[in-house]
Amino acid sequence: MSALSVPFSFNRLALIASNTFLEAVRQKLFNFLLLLAVGLVASAQFFRDFNFGSSELKFIADFGFGALIFFGSALTITATAQLFFSEIENRTALTLLAKPIWRAEFVFGKFLGVFSVIGVFCALTIGLMMALLWHREGQLMAANPEAFEAGRIMRYGDLFIVGVLQWLKFGVLSAIVLLIASFSNTNLYTVVTGFFALVICHLQYLARDSWSNVDSLVLRSVVRLLSFVFPNFQLFNLSDEIGQGAGLDPMLAGRVALYALGYITVIGGLAVYSFRNREI
Amino acid sequence: MPFVLNFLRSARTGLLVAAGLAAAGIALRPLEAPAWEEVRSRQPALRLESIKDALGQGVTVGLLGGFRAIVADFFWIRTNYVWEKYDLPATQTSIKLVTAIDPRPTYFWLNGSRMIAYDMPNWRIDKAGGYDKVPDTVEKRFDQEQSEVAIRYLNEGFGFHPEQPLIRLEIANIYLNRLKDTVSAARDYAIAAEHPDAPYYAARIYAELLRKMERNADAYAYLRTLYAKLPADNPQAMKSVVLERIRELEAELNVAPADRFRE
Repeated sequence: MSALSVPFSFNRLALIASNTFLEAVRQKLFNFLLLLAVGLVASAQFFRDFNFGSSELKFIADFGFGALIFFGSALTITATAQLFFSEIENRTALTLLAKPIWRAEFVFGKFLGVFSVIGVFCALTIGLMMALLWHREGQLMAANPEAFEAGRIMRYGDLFIVGVLQWLKFGVLSAIVLLIASFSNTNLYTVVTGFFALVICHLQYLARDSWSNVDSLVLRSVVRLLSFVFPNFQLFNLSDEIGQGAGLDPMLAGRVALYALGYITVIGGLAVYSFRNREI
Repeated sequence: MPFVLNFLRSARTGLLVAAGLAAAGIALRPLEAPAWEEVRSRQPALRLESIKDALGQGVTVGLLGGFRAIVADFFWIRTNYVWEKYDLPATQTSIKLVTAIDPRPTYFWLNGSRMIAYDMPNWRIDKAGGYDKVPDTVEKRFDQEQSEVAIRYLNEGFGFHPEQPLIRLEIANIYLNRLKDTVSAARDYAIAAEHPDAPYYAARIYAELLRKMERNADAYAYLRTLYAKLPADNPQAMKSVVLERIRELEAELNVAPADRFRE
């Protein structure tokens, strides 16, 4: 019985996702990176030695988001690649795909499993950072009330939204890694290419800025095409101004979220297409 | 032959995936373009030519890749480290590097200028033999030179924070406390006080400086106008203190009871 003889099932997809999630949580890598990120956020406590005053909150927020972005990216790429290839290397993919299961269910199940793991990672890191900020802000308010005339200066709702946007960015990255994994033969190749893709997506805005200045028509066209092919990860970089009293525009956050969801859908679809053409 | 077929199949898949990605990029551009414009407008251009020599390639990529704030924080911590060692050239360079990396936090501009204007003259005096040995003229020269560096630095800050009242107040403080230049200080306090986000004390200091310059009539007129604008429910506005000073000036200026300020 082929996969197409049964209708697409969200139950099967959820089963693959929950299995992937459990497998990921059991991995030492997840615990290790989570511990590192939590350690880095918690170490922001040492900023009080420098007596930064109310600006200490900006430092804590910067370090928290730095830990989230750095370790979150590493976790997304390695966990996605590892969880995909473990199925192929252990031959469980063969058993699984021999049954009437859509390859789309397999790919999106893997994606949702990894996306949930990253969600847990983001929630824990952001939650700890917000708790630390709340606690420290309370202490600073008591010690220096004139610096907090208008009440708390940190916008905790904005911190949460930026955390969610980072999670969505990791979702796009995970979809890209799945796309690479769908045609790649090795885990190592997928991880390395995933990191290259991450750097390119972060720096593609530079190519975009400069394409109009390139003299050669061919090169200009290539650069312009590249700016369309890779998502712009700088768009998610909204955390810098949170500790400086600037508020987050909800319209902007909504646009960025839709942009991420659009890319997740398209890249996920392309990963399914590419995986369908693959011999296992 | 099977190899060629496989290659052609892979190439077709690869091309279709690339075309799909490009199509997604084009389709999502209307969503991305306004958002990117807004994000970009909040990020001042990175002046890489002025900092790339001081940073390694890895750090430069980190800066371009979105770790600008955290890199600036690390360099600010480094600034504090060299500041504790009284290393003047390293501190001054490090302060400028931090704001070249991320000019957005006013905290960097304010605290950097305080290190330059208030701490560095003392370091220079210590290095030249201490307060007992260094003549007053030399001490004043050190004050003058460091204050000029700090004011120039703060004026650069206006390029990123146009008419930021706290930066303007910092310049006024340097004129008043380091250079003892009351006229220039009064001018900058007055400019700062005009800003809607200025702290209330800027206007009070301006009025006090007018009195110090023996322009009591101007101070009186200024305080009368100021009093009317101050909120009664904000203790930082110190409305009662302003009224007290108005009364003092009325006594000094012999204002007739009928012309006296009424609340």
